[in-house]
Amino acid sequence: MFFLLSSASVLLAVIIRGYQLAGHWTESGQIIFQNILMVFFLQFLIVILSLFYGTSLVTEELEGKTLPYLTSRPVSRAEIIIGKYLASLALTSIMLVSTVLISYLILNIDRDFRLKDLWTVARYSLVLWLGLAAYLSFFTFLSTWLSKPILLGLAFGFGWENVIQYFPGTTQKLSVVHYLKSLLPQYTAASGRLSFLFIRLEPTRDWLSVLILILITAIFLALAALLFSFKEYLMQD
Amino acid sequence: MTSIREKGYHHWEGQFLEKQRTFWPITRTGLKLAFGRKHFKLFYTFSFIPAVVYAVIIYISERLEDFKSISQGAEKIFQINPNFFKSYLTLDILYFAILLLMSIGGAGLLADDFRHKAVQLYFARPLTKADYLLGKAGVVIFFVGTLTLIPAVLLYLLKLLFAGSFGFFLAYPGLILSIIACSLFLILFFTAFVLLASSLSNNRNYVISIIFGLYFFSEILRGIISVIFRSPLSALFSITANLKQVAAGFFQVKPPYDYPWYLSFLLVSLFCLLSYLVIKHKVRGVEVIK
Amino acid sequence: MRVAIEARNLSRWYGNVLGISEINLEINPGITALLGPNGAGKSTFMKILTGQLKANIGEARIFGEKVWNNTHIFRHLGFCPEDDAFYEDLSGFEFLCGLLSLYGYSQAEARGRARQALDLVELSDVGGRQVRSYSRGMRQRIKIAQAIAHDPDVLILDEPLSGLDPLSKRRIIKVIKEFKNAGKTIVVSSHILPEVEALTSEIILIHQGKIIARGDIYFIRDLIDTHPHMIRIKSPQFRQLAKSMASEDYLLKMAFEPENQAVVFETHDRDRFFNRLNELLLSSPLVIDEITSPDDNLQAVFDYLVGK
Repeated sequence: MFFLLSSASVLLAVIIRGYQLAGHWTESGQIIFQNILMVFFLQFLIVILSLFYGTSLVTEELEGKTLPYLTSRPVSRAEIIIGKYLASLALTSIMLVSTVLISYLILNIDRDFRLKDLWTVARYSLVLWLGLAAYLSFFTFLSTWLSKPILLGLAFGFGWENVIQYFPGTTQKLSVVHYLKSLLPQYTAASGRLSFLFIRLEPTRDWLSVLILILITAIFLALAALLFSFKEYLMQD
Repeated sequence: MTSIREKGYHHWEGQFLEKQRTFWPITRTGLKLAFGRKHFKLFYTFSFIPAVVYAVIIYISERLEDFKSISQGAEKIFQINPNFFKSYLTLDILYFAILLLMSIGGAGLLADDFRHKAVQLYFARPLTKADYLLGKAGVVIFFVGTLTLIPAVLLYLLKLLFAGSFGFFLAYPGLILSIIACSLFLILFFTAFVLLASSLSNNRNYVISIIFGLYFFSEILRGIISVIFRSPLSALFSITANLKQVAAGFFQVKPPYDYPWYLSFLLVSLFCLLSYLVIKHKVRGVEVIK
Repeated sequence: MRVAIEARNLSRWYGNVLGISEINLEINPGITALLGPNGAGKSTFMKILTGQLKANIGEARIFGEKVWNNTHIFRHLGFCPEDDAFYEDLSGFEFLCGLLSLYGYSQAEARGRARQALDLVELSDVGGRQVRSYSRGMRQRIKIAQAIAHDPDVLILDEPLSGLDPLSKRRIIKVIKEFKNAGKTIVVSSHILPEVEALTSEIILIHQGKIIARGDIYFIRDLIDTHPHMIRIKSPQFRQLAKSMASEDYLLKMAFEPENQAVVFETHDRDRFFNRLNELLLSSPLVIDEITSPDDNLQAVFDYLVGK
């Protein structure tokens, strides 16, 4: 299902390219891709992927009663959480990066395509991947903390993250999406209909955004590992 | 020594009981389980806030003179007409509340049965697949009905009561039918949507992700397609846009998107039909291991 | 020599519900059965022994080392949980390999050990099939395989024989006994006396979270024999049967159930009772529909021991 959702962008890219080749579309592949990037990948895909995989990390083992198979082995509980986190990150990264790359290539490969364009898509992919890692870390923490983390995760991913970014000043810095937007190409009113996504954005500097995203990932992962090490989990009946 | 018992054929002389409403115990249990979930009652209560606000608007609309200070410049809000009722039944916040409630209390309707291999226990009773599905659907119907049909009808009756005359009824004679038809359509759609999501996995978390994932994804898809093709038909990709378009058709008011409302009606109906077929296929008494 | 398993003043409760209370014991190599009715605290005790739960009071030690949050000890410990829970989409072989890799074995060694464990539990031929397609007996055996695959010194098996058919039971008993013969320490929980009898003579009786007795299984048998037995016989000639038995000195009580055409005898010598019944059946045209022992179970013994 999530593979299907991820590949929706590829399907969309194919349709648009066909439409473009038929001469109905005049805007450049770069602009179209940025639209898909902002709306589909940034606001939706990385959130839903990390939400599902992150909140399932411990909950799945508890509901399936399979946790004792892991916790009765000579690996620390922190290693279990970090291992599971990395496995989920690897899987979701494949879904994300492959679809970003394919969609980009479908929309942009033509006679003018240069190898340096690949640098652009690599940069986008890296930013999205940082977002994915940060969200996944936060949702992993929720999974170790709460017995039903998905609702709070939904409220955070699709509620808080959507609303807070349009608040002025430092308030918007309390979201992950703010730092991701700061790292992505800035929209102006002239560059597309989605410029509204950048209203009120008071971007943070690139290096600081990267640092904060890495810190968010590290802090919540450490908290998750710590909580999982000391918390007792009673199997559900 | 006892003799070996003779194996013979015995005529069964009993009587078949008349068919009972076998779906009801399933619905009743589903409702009980939903209300037993953490925070469910709180969310359910909060879901009535829009209805309360609309009731207050109706009250103020009949006392405009007394509430001049509030209503000044916002007279349009206090106009009670088919658009008012349509706007209640197409509130984004209402749809979100329904989905949230159904995530807590409805996601596991089929998924939990699949997970615990309980479907075969149901079918070991005098129960048909239709009874089982109706029983499960009853839970969604109850919650969506109490948030759409019942408040909308009550709002209508409230308007008649506050007006103290049949003027409103005579001005819009078909309105109550529109309210009922639109609500039933919403009930049908949400029932199909929730049960379809619940039938796609035996993992409740996955079902919740599907419910919200598809809901948001459809809206995002509409946004992207609308930007690319700049066609009102892009609304056909969105769940909420389709429901709003159909509601406009039921209330015979101007649709929000510039295309005939019956296209959305046909699309949503087709979705419900396909959902029914998928659900029917998924609900099996025997697990098939491939 | 260090004690294999040691529990000191172990207590654990869940909110207001008591799991286990002040358990003190030492377990040495061999098979020890933890016997108790459902809800007695067997699983709680085993979960504490395997580091799944933390005791509220007291401490569990294996080979002198504490268990909770001590990953090092898990190298010497194999745990077979009670729940019928698996990663259903994996094959039996993948399931074992995946868990073995957590011990730091190389891929080749993990695969070798997985194959060996599958052989031991006689599942080699279905190792490639998804666990979801396994029968109850196979699932129980693959669960035991994951507990023994790393050749632990201490094996904790929570209800390993529950719900199995006689053939599967025999297979699992064979595996457990092989482990015992290799000098390992095995703790098995059960609530069914004949199952335990087939495994070991060393038992610990647990009831309402407390250890009420420990020793040889024949001690339990004796308790059963000194504790009056109830035997219910359903027969169309139940009065005639009662009349024939009434003169026996080991008979303590008789009660009639005319509506069921049955008579309930109470005796303190079950063997003599059944010998006499056999004689009667052979010498007279008595018809017997059903013989049951309403209290021939552990619960009756427990009730007796706790003075109910």
